[in-house]
Amino acid sequence: MKVEYVTPFVAGSIKVMQLLLQLTPSRGQLSARPQVFTTQQVNIVCGITGDIEGQVIYGMSVRTADKIAGIMIGSPVQTFDALAASAIAELGNMISGNSVTMLAQQGFNCDITPPTIVKGSNVKITTLDIPALVIPLQLQDVGDFEVNVSLQERKARAAA
Amino acid sequence: MAKRILITDDALFMRVTLKNILVQNGFEVVGEAQNGKEAVDLYDQLKPDLVTMDITMPEMDGIAALKAIRSNDPDAKVVMCTAMGQKNMVVEAIQNGAKDFIVKPFQPERVVEALGKLLAA
Repeated sequence: MKVEYVTPFVAGSIKVMQLLLQLTPSRGQLSARPQVFTTQQVNIVCGITGDIEGQVIYGMSVRTADKIAGIMIGSPVQTFDALAASAIAELGNMISGNSVTMLAQQGFNCDITPPTIVKGSNVKITTLDIPALVIPLQLQDVGDFEVNVSLQERKARAAA
Repeated sequence: MAKRILITDDALFMRVTLKNILVQNGFEVVGEAQNGKEAVDLYDQLKPDLVTMDITMPEMDGIAALKAIRSNDPDAKVVMCTAMGQKNMVVEAIQNGAKDFIVKPFQPERVVEALGKLLAA
């Protein structure tokens, strides 16, 4: 997988977090992850289709998800209810949308699918034959937010 | 009389957020659609003054809903409100009659200003 596909998602995450949460995350080391990996406690799965296709999965702890949803909603989250889950899903949607806009500026036209929330840290996710690159982001007083990017150029196009 | 708005977004969080912003600024939210198909149906039933329209939604996306609403009512005022800001998306929406294009995350003032301007006439 090309690192150039990852850069927009890091930039998109930072931009959205600054605008939406008024927080600037610090960025950790990029690492590779095998095709099958075990999830975090709360995961937002976003599909990417078009010139580049695959998934981007945003992972975090329940505590971090509660804190982020609380900032978005404007009051602390007591239980991770439908509104909190929807806020977290929308965060993933906004990051993916803004990142795809940046990919378009690089000449890759893509679309995104509505996000899915997967809860439970023992879920194994398989990104088919595309290995994932992982960028850990750290939000002060909120926690870690992991961006797993697993994308490849569309097969038909690559074969042409 | 307060202007009547139909909100379209698949995310509960966005519907709640938009509704709060609009109600606090003197608009009336007459309906909430969770996908494009619901928006088309609710538009016919409710005849709102303006529709906010997300793009990425299950069932029917916002561009398809925009086309359907505008073909039923060529005067329909639809404002896109989406995380997808790439040029081809904006161009397609505007060519199909969208009156404005708001990229998420947005500041509340951006929404209020856009709707206020469109509904002032």
